[in-house]
Amino acid sequence: MKSEMKNDIEVSDQLVNCDNMKRLSLVLSVIGVIATVLGFKENAQRAWGNILVCNYYFLSLAIGASFFAAIQNITQSGWSAMFKRVPEAITAYLPYGSVLVLLMGAFGVHSLYHWSHEAAVQSDILLQHKAPYLNVTFFLIRLVVSLGLWFFLTSLLRKFSLREDVEGGLKNFIKGEFYSKVLIFILALTFSLFTFDLIMSIDSHWFSTIFAIKNFVSAFLHGSALILLMIFALNKRGYFPVLNAAHRHDLSKYLFMLAMIWGYMWFSQFFLMWYSNIPEETVYYAQRLRGEWKTIFFADLFLNWTFPFLFLLHNRVARNTNALIFTSALLLFGFWLDIYLQVFPGLTGNCIIGFVEVGIFSGFLGIFIFSVASALGKTSIIPKNHPYLGESMAHEVH
Amino acid sequence: MFNKVENNNLVGTYDNEDVFVDAIRSIKQNGIAIKNVFTPYPIHEVFHELEISTRFSYLAFIYGVSGTVGTFGFLYWTSVINFPIRIGGKPHLSLSFIVIMFVMTILVGIILSVVSFFVRQQLFPGKEPVLAHSGNTDDKFSLVIEVKDSASIDEVNEITSKLRKSGAIEVVAKKNIGKN
Repeated sequence: MKSEMKNDIEVSDQLVNCDNMKRLSLVLSVIGVIATVLGFKENAQRAWGNILVCNYYFLSLAIGASFFAAIQNITQSGWSAMFKRVPEAITAYLPYGSVLVLLMGAFGVHSLYHWSHEAAVQSDILLQHKAPYLNVTFFLIRLVVSLGLWFFLTSLLRKFSLREDVEGGLKNFIKGEFYSKVLIFILALTFSLFTFDLIMSIDSHWFSTIFAIKNFVSAFLHGSALILLMIFALNKRGYFPVLNAAHRHDLSKYLFMLAMIWGYMWFSQFFLMWYSNIPEETVYYAQRLRGEWKTIFFADLFLNWTFPFLFLLHNRVARNTNALIFTSALLLFGFWLDIYLQVFPGLTGNCIIGFVEVGIFSGFLGIFIFSVASALGKTSIIPKNHPYLGESMAHEVH
Repeated sequence: MFNKVENNNLVGTYDNEDVFVDAIRSIKQNGIAIKNVFTPYPIHEVFHELEISTRFSYLAFIYGVSGTVGTFGFLYWTSVINFPIRIGGKPHLSLSFIVIMFVMTILVGIILSVVSFFVRQQLFPGKEPVLAHSGNTDDKFSLVIEVKDSASIDEVNEITSKLRKSGAIEVVAKKNIGKN
């Protein structure tokens, strides 16, 4: 049985229909441009806010996917070896995303961040205290350094992985493992600062020490959801022919486990602020529990924790392709709500989800699909000389 | 999961996990029913091949839920009904229940699961081990095939030879596996 499976898989599984994807991404991008223009005409702050939400959304997914891939390399996981092209393709968004974030940092900083206004800092002791860290120059330096490091390390890992296909042997595998270790240490610092800078500093008087880990877990959870969604989408089109219930179960464990950690972090942040009841801290939640925000607040918790946790509790559901596609899609929607809820109450304060929101999101989605699909189409979807490939394909039980 | 095997049995013992799993497959293909399996550690392929399933996870879920509900009931009774004190301006029925409920869910779930496991396995400290081969707790894998009273010597010999062929290092006839 096992040997037959190995022989069946040949180089044939190159991504076809790339043109369709490119056409789709072009249409989405055009919608995005129209929405951006309309958004800036109507309310520049709202448009910048949406650009921030989408920038952070897709960069988080890319970082989550790169962390997923790094963890598989470090633990030398056998079962996941044949899926490694998928997270690698997602990280191909990083250069595009970096440019978009830097453009936003260069032109939108005054519309987005209260602390970037000289006049505001002058009349505010707390902002003066934070000024050595929160100033535009240092903000941009941090962005450039973080994004540069991520791009450098992920493209290095991708290079080793592609070279492995040609050369074989263990050399690239060992190098990949080492640089994955470097990557997760770098991510721990840079991604924390990235969440502080981009999201937390909107509410420039508020702070939370658990904020970085909460958002990092969020990136990991939703990055995994995207990886699942892509694997199953490819599988439905006939790729990964040996994907079986054991693979599905192992993939779904990532969602289940990370949804629990996400809920834990969410509650840790909320509970400690609720309990200590310090006005500087509770103001953050007081605002989000009022008016229309209240709906999004509870929808966020339900979509990202309650639903995946209760739904994937049953083993038969956790192995079902359609159930997993549904859960992943809900999680990805919940992630957008999560970031929207973190950005907008402190920015415009109005909860209006209209064409600008949907349009700018689809614009970013277009760029994302373009970068991921073209990276996926460059090589065969299943890697060739990975040392654990046989184990991954013959994976039967866990 | 298994009861004592009291009848006449043939015990085939193997010293390699892969050989053992393949042996189970080949013996099943020959139409011989495997009555019981003894391994030093759980092997997923064995559960799969013998189609063994367990309802234990449902039980653990029920224990967990009862831990959550029971703890909530107790906290509600103590801090809302029986002895309501306002602390730090917080309401009587408050979020601070959740941490205790969370921890108690795990505690109740774990303890009741362990107790259920011991009861179901008729296990207690100091119980004499039920083994097919003295190496089953070390590095030997055994499978037990029940031999009916009506079976002829030829039939027994055939099973023995099939066990040998599948890689068994030892095939022994045993009457009562409970007494090792």
